[in-house]
Amino acid sequence: MATNKIKVDALVVGGGISGMQTALDLADQGYQVALVEKEASIGGKMIALSKVFPTLDCCSCITTPKMSAVAHQENITLLTYCEVDHIKQNGKGFIVGATNKPRYVDMDLCTGCRQCEYVCPVDLKNPFDNNLGAIRAIRVPFSTAVPQKVVLDIDNCILCGKCQTACAVDAIDFTQQPEEIMIETDSILLATGFEVTPKDAKKEYGNGKLLNVIDGLDMERLLAPTGPYGHVLRPSDGKEPDSIAYVQCAGSRDETLGVEYCSRVCCMYAIKQAMLLSGALPLADITIYYMDIRAFGKGYEQFYQNAKAMGIQFIKGKVAKIKEDENQNPVFRVEMVDEGGSVVEHTHDLAVLSVGMLPSFDPTPIFNVPNDTDGFIMTPDQNFSASLTMIPGIFAAGAATGPMDIVDSIMTAGSAASAASAYIKSQQNGKEESSSKIADLQKESQHA
Amino acid sequence: MSDKQTKKEKMQILKELREQYADSVAKTQAHLKEQQSARRLLKKAMKTGPMTVPEIAEAVNLPSDEVLWHIVAMKKYDLVTEVGQDGEYYKYALPVKEKKS
Ligand SMILES: Cc1cc2nc3c(=O)[nH]c(=O)nc-3n(C[C@H](O)[C@H](O)[C@H](O)COP(=O)(O)OP(=O)(O)OC[C@H]3O[C@@H](n4cnc5c(N)ncnc54)[C@H](O)[C@@H]3O)c2cc1C
Ligand code: SF4
Ligand code: SF4
Repeated sequence: MATNKIKVDALVVGGGISGMQTALDLADQGYQVALVEKEASIGGKMIALSKVFPTLDCCSCITTPKMSAVAHQENITLLTYCEVDHIKQNGKGFIVGATNKPRYVDMDLCTGCRQCEYVCPVDLKNPFDNNLGAIRAIRVPFSTAVPQKVVLDIDNCILCGKCQTACAVDAIDFTQQPEEIMIETDSILLATGFEVTPKDAKKEYGNGKLLNVIDGLDMERLLAPTGPYGHVLRPSDGKEPDSIAYVQCAGSRDETLGVEYCSRVCCMYAIKQAMLLSGALPLADITIYYMDIRAFGKGYEQFYQNAKAMGIQFIKGKVAKIKEDENQNPVFRVEMVDEGGSVVEHTHDLAVLSVGMLPSFDPTPIFNVPNDTDGFIMTPDQNFSASLTMIPGIFAAGAATGPMDIVDSIMTAGSAASAASAYIKSQQNGKEESSSKIADLQKESQHA
Repeated sequence: MSDKQTKKEKMQILKELREQYADSVAKTQAHLKEQQSARRLLKKAMKTGPMTVPEIAEAVNLPSDEVLWHIVAMKKYDLVTEVGQDGEYYKYALPVKEKKS
């Protein structure tokens, strides 16, 4: 295995909005930064969303410039399709071993023309569309991917070589092997983000088996201009739904799933989607079944009130069960809280589960960074320095530290970058500064 | 690319990889066969004119969610076009100049 070596001031792990912002904030101050992203493109969850609450800005329009800023910032070394395997303490800093997975494409030669993608015979479910749409075995991951280069899915390829023949610049290279990279760094910033509640988590809601019971991320893709169907259609038969219903807290504040916390974004994204749906499907009835609506951020309560004024129905009720009728319509069994707890059945065309946020990556085995009881990265100094982890020199930002929206992700990214900047300076000037604070906290937690 | 490979070398490399990845290649080939036979049925049915997903599903006797997936896959790569709406369903048609797939 060939080994490349790089030396940086900061290594950022995860290229979602939090990681991108952290990397940019550090690079703009003159620090050398390496950004490692496990997928073939940066962008994280945000690049797959339709529009953002509460401003209703187009997500792709605001995320794409950030992605290209990362690619063009000369102080950032961007390593996509790459994962950290191990780290070693190196004095006050770290030596990090990462592996670049083979894309089977020469990144210097590929122009992103997609000729190879067009000739490839194999259509697969498209992970970028949450498997609702299709994509080829060799593909540019999505239209605004950064880098704009193809990746070949060797595990779902018949190795026919058609792509290689079609490529005018001879960029496809089946001899590529994993490449090891050694990164020497003073600091590490974890921005590994979140996953949503798995579709099969709630058996009351069909165990993920009912085609017309989708989740919030599916709906983001259906609403996005680049979405799989080009319209909001239901997956069972392509029907334009006349009646769409949301189930709030589907996977959050739920002891049976071991998720006791509120995911903080589901109320707001459901309201946002409901508003976008009433624009896309003006005749459709849109209902949100909820226990309470949490609209805590700046402008959020107004956003909620606007949704009500637009005619979106908010029903205080507990959805006990969803089954389907003979036409695959989801049938809700609802306990109506405002009607004395009476139980009714409502049939809709499409159901959307407002799924919650779960941690996506466990940093403990590799980075030795402990997690909190909720499974997200432990940030012991929540009040004064929320980006510190229990390990000196390792910081955390964004949804990797707990459920949060984009506004808060960007704020924590800025805070992590400034804490890391202070740390790097203190290390490079030979002073111990922020590390002593962590030492105190570590001691405290050991005694607790 | 690491020094230009000749056509012959490329074929040899692919042949060796097909052996190394025999299992996944076999699995993908089976998937492809199914895909191609479904597409043949779809294209044949759609020769009669623009159709909705449930109409195609009935004509080819495949589940409508699978038909929808094939249609969106073909639409993505310009092998099917959307032509208006019939009530709650969109209608799809083969492109006027039929391309080979
Ligand atoms: C359905 C839905 C709708 C939403 N709508 C809105 C909205 O309208 N407005 C709003 O403010 N917020 C919204 N949010 C919340 C928003 O998605 C998050 O706040 C934001 O994406 C968090 O960004 P992040 O960078 O922290 O995490 P992520 O977006 O999850 O990015 C993490 C990145 O790290 C990478 N990664 C993970 N592990 C590793 C590893 N080991 N090595 C390398 N890379 C790794 C991932 O591939 C990913 O690219 C919504 C969330 C959902 C679920
Ligand atoms: S590999 Fe070749 S054909 Fe494929 S996108 Fe790159 S340059 Fe185009
Ligand atoms: S070799 Fe694989 S990726 Fe390339 S065209 Fe054939 S199936 Fe597609």
